[in-house]
Amino acid sequence: MKFTFPTVRRLGRFSLQAAKDVGGMALLLGRIAARLLPPRYDGPELRRCLFRMGYQSLGIMMATAFVVGIILVIQAFVFVERYGLRSMLGWGAGFVTIRELGPILLALMFSGRVGAYTAAELGTMQVTDQVDGLRCLAIDPISYLVVPRFLAMVISLTALTLIGNAVALISASVMGQVMLEVDTHTFWSNLFDTLEPADVMLSVVKSTLFGAIIAISSCHAGLSTQGGAPGVGISVNRAVVMSAVSIFVLDFFVTFVLG
Amino acid sequence: MIQLRDIHVSYGEHPALSGLSLSIQRGDLLGIIGPGGAGKSSVCRLVAGLLFPQRGTITADGVDLARLDSRGLREWQKGIGMQFQNDALFEHMSVLDNVMYPLKRLTRDPASTISERAAAQIAQVGLAGFEAQLPNRLSGGQRRRVALARACVIQPRILICDDPTAGLDPLTSRHILDMIADMRQRTGNTVLLVSSDVMGVLSISTRIALVWRGTIAEDNPPDLFRQSGEKRVRRFLDDARLPFAGAS
Repeated sequence: MKFTFPTVRRLGRFSLQAAKDVGGMALLLGRIAARLLPPRYDGPELRRCLFRMGYQSLGIMMATAFVVGIILVIQAFVFVERYGLRSMLGWGAGFVTIRELGPILLALMFSGRVGAYTAAELGTMQVTDQVDGLRCLAIDPISYLVVPRFLAMVISLTALTLIGNAVALISASVMGQVMLEVDTHTFWSNLFDTLEPADVMLSVVKSTLFGAIIAISSCHAGLSTQGGAPGVGISVNRAVVMSAVSIFVLDFFVTFVLG
Repeated sequence: MIQLRDIHVSYGEHPALSGLSLSIQRGDLLGIIGPGGAGKSSVCRLVAGLLFPQRGTITADGVDLARLDSRGLREWQKGIGMQFQNDALFEHMSVLDNVMYPLKRLTRDPASTISERAAAQIAQVGLAGFEAQLPNRLSGGQRRRVALARACVIQPRILICDDPTAGLDPLTSRHILDMIADMRQRTGNTVLLVSSDVMGVLSISTRIALVWRGTIAEDNPPDLFRQSGEKRVRRFLDDARLPFAGAS
């Protein structure tokens, strides 16, 4: 019997697609792991990816981090004024930036810039037969295309998050001085008195996992592209949505387990 | 010899090949023709090891391709040069780099030899002087010629050309087919040629196979093929508006 209830049908289609994507991403992760032990990937391609994904993202990521620091202080302004918490500004900014806001916002920015680009690049290669072209040259597309992108995204996002956290805290301390007259010495000494190595570790763990999930989502979306140019657009959309959802889900679990 | 036996392939719910059987002899220039969506490209992908059948077997000199491990499959693919329907050129690489790429990956030749071989291959397809150009600066016909040069530069045992003349004007189309015939004559290698230029394929192939709804409707040398009384062959040739379609 043909089922004609549109909402249920849409829900069914969505569930099937979600199951397909989760399965596809798990398989891709397995394939990447198999090529990392022992390492089998293209070195020059990894260097190119690190330059494009890491170095060339530095400007936009730092700008994002700078604004995050400013917004933090603007948001804290009312409460710091009302309760006279000037001496706690360093702790508040550090705690929120390093543990939560820095990794999440920078990962979302990274996913929009690098993840979308990767999905579009691999999607275009897929629909123009370039991926099959590599196979025909006896080149494994996972070793040549996916593993270097995976490593580059993990390394880049982890490094960018550490640098971004520092930039956000610098901008918060400057803004605290300007808006709340909290001198920078008080800000930094309060920050270092309360900050623990575990907080920085949590930031590193989160950004590493976020980098991995952005890489897997975007590579999976790119390599499963079908249907020419419109298909590439759909893949980019899927990559960004899958990355964003995965980032929040992962953040919940990591915070729950390690937080 | 490559043998495809009772091959069944479907994409989702749509069957592409249903019970196709075909043998390709060493040194053949096998022209594969047929209406759009008949399964011609799937045959190319099966032989290249890019696609595996849901049912049936493909053997090369008695070895079942589906049973090869990844290393064995890579070895098989090293002997294949494939020109794809939409060129599959690496857009960020120059013409020279595109043609050098297979040599860099598959041979241990020194850089100078690789560069010389690639330049000679580019000259052979009539594109000398275009070495430094990026593919997006070339016309459709020039892109096809670069793709052909890239497929041939490793001197593959089997050259697979998947519709190298699609969308080209008759003159360029003829020129590309002549280059393929010329390369086969010089090397004596096996060529699998899919093309919508029916007349062109009939004029250069040693054998013609008509793929019709996922099976082989006729498989014969060009002369016998033209004279075939098979209903689907007649209909296809009539549709292709060949001047000799009714000749016997």
